[in-house]
Amino acid sequence: MLTAPTSLGIIFFPAYDWAISPTHPEREERLLYTQDQFREEGLFDIDGINEYRPLRAEDTDILRAHFCFPTIEAVCTESHRISAGGAIRAAQLVLKGETQRAFALVRPPGHHAMKVVHGNRGFCNINIEAVMVEWIRAHSGIRRIAIVDTDCHHGDGTQDVYWHDPDVLFISLHQDGRTLYPGSGFLHENGGPKAAGRTINIPLPPQTADTGYLKVVEEAVLPILEAFKPEMVINSAGQDNHYSDPITNMHFSAQGYARLNELLKPDIAVLEGGYSIKSALPYVNLGICLAMAGCDYSAVREPDYAPSRLRETPDTLAYIDELCGQVRDAYFHPEMPPAKKEGHFFVRERRVYYDTDNIIEKQREKLKDCNNCQGYRLIQTESSSILPCLGVELFHDSCPVCESEAHAAFTDKHGNSLVAQLMDHKNRDYRYRNQN
Amino acid sequence: MQSTQNSKHGMRIGIDIGGTHSDGVLIDGTRLVAAAKARTRHDDLLASINLLLTHLLAGQNANWVQCINLSSTLTTNAIITGLVAPVGVLVSGGPGIAVENYRIGSQFHHIPGSLSHVGEETSPIDMDALDAALATCQADGINHFAVIGKFSPRNPEHELQMAEPARPTAQVLCCGHQLSGRLNLGRRINSTYFNAAVWDIARSFAAALKDSLHAFGLQHAEMNILKADGGTLPLARALEAPVQSILSGPAASVMGVLATMPLQEDVVLLDIGGTTTDIALFAGGQPLLEREGIAIAGRPTLVRALRVASIGIGGDSYIHVEADGVHCGPERLGPCMAAGGDAPALMDAFNVLGRAKFGDVALSEKGMATLAAQQGIDAKELAQSALSAAATAIETALRGLIDEVNSKPVYTIHEILEERRIEPRQLVLIGGPAEVFQPLLQEKTDMETLCPQLASVTNAIGAALCRSTSALVLHADTSRGWLYAPTLEVSKRIDRNFTLEDAVTEAKDLLKTDMAEAGIKLADADMQVTQADSFNMVERGYTMGKNIRVSVQVKPAVLGSTKPSSAVEVVHAK
Ligand SMILES: [Zn+2]
Ligand SMILES: [Zn+2]
Ligand SMILES: [Zn+2]
Repeated sequence: MLTAPTSLGIIFFPAYDWAISPTHPEREERLLYTQDQFREEGLFDIDGINEYRPLRAEDTDILRAHFCFPTIEAVCTESHRISAGGAIRAAQLVLKGETQRAFALVRPPGHHAMKVVHGNRGFCNINIEAVMVEWIRAHSGIRRIAIVDTDCHHGDGTQDVYWHDPDVLFISLHQDGRTLYPGSGFLHENGGPKAAGRTINIPLPPQTADTGYLKVVEEAVLPILEAFKPEMVINSAGQDNHYSDPITNMHFSAQGYARLNELLKPDIAVLEGGYSIKSALPYVNLGICLAMAGCDYSAVREPDYAPSRLRETPDTLAYIDELCGQVRDAYFHPEMPPAKKEGHFFVRERRVYYDTDNIIEKQREKLKDCNNCQGYRLIQTESSSILPCLGVELFHDSCPVCESEAHAAFTDKHGNSLVAQLMDHKNRDYRYRNQN
Repeated sequence: MQSTQNSKHGMRIGIDIGGTHSDGVLIDGTRLVAAAKARTRHDDLLASINLLLTHLLAGQNANWVQCINLSSTLTTNAIITGLVAPVGVLVSGGPGIAVENYRIGSQFHHIPGSLSHVGEETSPIDMDALDAALATCQADGINHFAVIGKFSPRNPEHELQMAEPARPTAQVLCCGHQLSGRLNLGRRINSTYFNAAVWDIARSFAAALKDSLHAFGLQHAEMNILKADGGTLPLARALEAPVQSILSGPAASVMGVLATMPLQEDVVLLDIGGTTTDIALFAGGQPLLEREGIAIAGRPTLVRALRVASIGIGGDSYIHVEADGVHCGPERLGPCMAAGGDAPALMDAFNVLGRAKFGDVALSEKGMATLAAQQGIDAKELAQSALSAAATAIETALRGLIDEVNSKPVYTIHEILEERRIEPRQLVLIGGPAEVFQPLLQEKTDMETLCPQLASVTNAIGAALCRSTSALVLHADTSRGWLYAPTLEVSKRIDRNFTLEDAVTEAKDLLKTDMAEAGIKLADADMQVTQADSFNMVERGYTMGKNIRVSVQVKPAVLGSTKPSSAVEVVHAK
């Protein structure tokens, strides 16, 4: 029988009783065939590969990562708590050394959920990677983390959560935003003014296949990871780059996904999208699991896999070649447009659209530019469905001045916010203040 | 209850052939009538059975015996010692883990060809490769075959195609889909291989046994074989699936406890022996089953089994001192010194502390004193440390088992929110040294410990009072209009409106009919639905139909409660 050279914990939670709606891609059936494949392969009979159940994310776990308005309950159901809890369990396995690596094969996904949450965007409510990363930081000395988002859609939510964080390197590989939801993730999106080059976007042309994708990984992603020297690597593992995925246009295969994880060697992988539930997921998931466990995956392929029909054109490969150089520059020589400033604050104003829930959010973010610490930030947000709310985030290294300013903003009774939420990483204080 | 197994005047015989001892009982209704014990003769199991029957039937009318339930080590020992028939293994794989990783036996052949996870052919069986494999087997004089296809519980077609050309030369031919409806290629390969390998052994033993029963006037009695899941199989069925009889020993003992003392709560059962302690769990009085199946000779199978964990702590566990302190077990070097052994063992420690008076206490004291002197400590101190090491090992193992059961994966939000955890507050101790261990484990575990006065033939009582168990898996796909129950080889058309309720009814009916064919009448209450799931299958935004999975089982249970009376003496047959 097989033995895994690298022990792997798999948190398999298909949420067989939850769907966004009966025919939505994010429905009960999504991981059914993956489970059939796992069972028939005897994946959990492999010495060193074990199955674990998810934990449930508690309020504090969510409030470490998100501003949820007006309340957690309003934007987050049990399914989201358990999905995030699956990611937390994966982190716990690795931190405690129960397994060397872990894969949270859970749903619903989370990488389109941003720092502020008013509802569901791109099938996501809670950013399960972000909840997990903040859980890791709260439960260990680890701060420096790399998240590589290999979902076919731009991980705009995760990018937003870590936009200002110089200790999180976020790299997203995705189908070019000019051709796919959410329409973002361009090279120039390169991190906030205090975290230049810590957000890296790799927009790939449609029909990119194994050769092109793995080229980018080897020639751009790996050198950047090597330079950043993270304490932990997380794969935000979407499976919708697959050639059979119904909602994207890429040509990646199960072999490609397995090789990707062999190269990336993530400590933790967290499932994101992927909606070719019969033709791709059973094989892609198996390939990822075997590769993460260091097992032979050479016989894992889709029944209809025909690499000759999936190859990139020479033009596409040439484009990707050039892209690799631009991506490396984005990390090693970030060129940032000047940020808008009001006094000591960097200011961003924008609108965010929640497609699933049809909500439009209006946001104004102020980041304190402090010479002694990472500062603090204030996010004023209102949406088509609720009155203005305030999020106050105080970073772990805040200086006393920033600390008192942030607390003053949070307790200010004269503000016009309906709800204020404090995210004080320094004192590990996460709570709401209701105005009336 | 199963009425044919509970007729009013039916007497039942239970026989448990164990590693060292064989036990037998004769039970009338639920009253113990006779009991006997004999040494197991591994070279001649039938002789041990005959010896027991002679004593059990002395002065009894054999015509009144309605059934004989036998738990034996026959197939288990054959597999463990490797004295089995050579088997040609033919496996069709497909995308996934390479088939070579499942290699078993000297003639293992991968035949190209594959089905997908929904049972659709994705590449046909390579008939040339199959012919070549069969030629190799033939050249090797092989006439036993195990034929296994990946995803055969979804569609047996490839197994049937591979079996066809093997038939003319095959004396024994087993297909994977007949043994279990559950997915797991590796386990299915092992199960099918072992089934073919012990086929002849089971048959020739059964033939000899039948002659023997005839000689005792027991030819009208039903003969049942005990399984590791604490249930029985009628002999005719057991000969079609002889692998089902492996490792039934622990089940006999668990079912024996269930038959002789009332258990309604969550309970831990510890069966303490000389070398090992077996740990079993009851949830609300019902013994827990393994999730997948039991392993034998280091190979996992799909054979259903009670969940029993075994640890190397018993009365003869060897006491030794290492740099990090006093250890007890898992090795056994021989009997304890009180029983004439050469090295101090756990029972010697009990003797030294006055907690037991087993065998020659003076020998225990001498041995423990010698070991203690080498370490420059007091003999009592050494004994105390050994006891505490043993108690810790047992406690750790049973907590581990409880945690494992409580953290078993679940797949719905409902199950996570509504889960029922197993929280045993009672510890039942059985086995030779049970009474000696009782105060120790009472202190250590904080559980109420019971040490029931069980007959020394409890295992055989368990065997006698077991009922038949069975399981069935059914899979339906309304978009393809198809229903399939692999083990019964039932497939039939269904219409688009076929529901989950229809599937459950169908599964129960199939199981009931199948058991009836084996002479066992089932009531609805005897059957337990262990899975009933229905998924909407959606393609391009449209609902194409439903994918339905149902599993039904007859759970292990005993037919009644027997109070072993002191009036019945256990005869030691020689
Ligand atoms: Zn991405
Ligand atoms: Zn996606
Ligand atoms: Zn500051």
